[in-house]
Amino acid sequence: MVHVPIERHLVRGRDLADRRYTDPALTVDDMAAAAGLSKAHFSREFKRVFGETPRGHLLTRRMERAATLLRQTDHSVAEICLEVGLQSVGSFTSTFTRHFGRSPTRYRADAPPAAVYARIPACVMRVHGRPQHRTFGEDGKGGQA
Amino acid sequence: MTTIKMNATQLWVHDQDEALAFYTDKVGLEIHEDVTVAEMGNFRWLAVGAPGQDASIVLMAIPGAPMFDDATQGEIRSLMGKGYAGTVFFATDDCRARYDEMAAKGVEFTQEPTETPYGLDCGFRDPSGNHLRMVQLPQGA
Repeated sequence: MVHVPIERHLVRGRDLADRRYTDPALTVDDMAAAAGLSKAHFSREFKRVFGETPRGHLLTRRMERAATLLRQTDHSVAEICLEVGLQSVGSFTSTFTRHFGRSPTRYRADAPPAAVYARIPACVMRVHGRPQHRTFGEDGKGGQA
Repeated sequence: MTTIKMNATQLWVHDQDEALAFYTDKVGLEIHEDVTVAEMGNFRWLAVGAPGQDASIVLMAIPGAPMFDDATQGEIRSLMGKGYAGTVFFATDDCRARYDEMAAKGVEFTQEPTETPYGLDCGFRDPSGNHLRMVQLPQGA
């Protein structure tokens, strides 16, 4: 029998977050279901394998996408908040500022669109555009999902 | 003046038969070479490629001892399962139609066709977890 590593299951949950991050109703339960694992097992193994909680991954995906939209569109900050699956503009602004060290408005003013310089595949930009900070209120407490 | 061109690249897979069925039946590639060498412990050289194109993707099983120790095998399986062990970027003349066709066959897509500065792009995984991309480049690109 072929051994399928746990990572192959976990990545299905991560893919769901990367694909459906615009849905404000998306939960860690949905990610765990996509992986075919219980929420507790999924969250524990996700943190061990990927180094961040599922909820943290979903939020950084949203922040990465928000940054891209700020650079590449003229959508308002409120519109972008909704477009990335968040519903509170105040919370979005403070979370974005914690991740990128600048407010969304300041970030937009400072960052030229990357596409001006090179045709970088979107999947590469997504990975390298993901912010590093993971300590924020929305990520739960004590590394739990 | 000598020349150089792409001949083949390699992806690790956890099951060569399953990978072969995926790349031929679902992605639409064809077998370039499928040779099992008895004197090399039944090593199987399995290469697929796009119809009409010479370049191949070698679907490589992860070798056991003495080539790779247990830890190395585990590391590769882990990277492969996470989708970090390599990527192939395909091109198509109709990304949406190809996406519909492959999705109907049960291909696990990570991203639906999305407009990007370099074309209409989508992403999917093979059964081993390898991350694959498919783009429809702008006309004239």
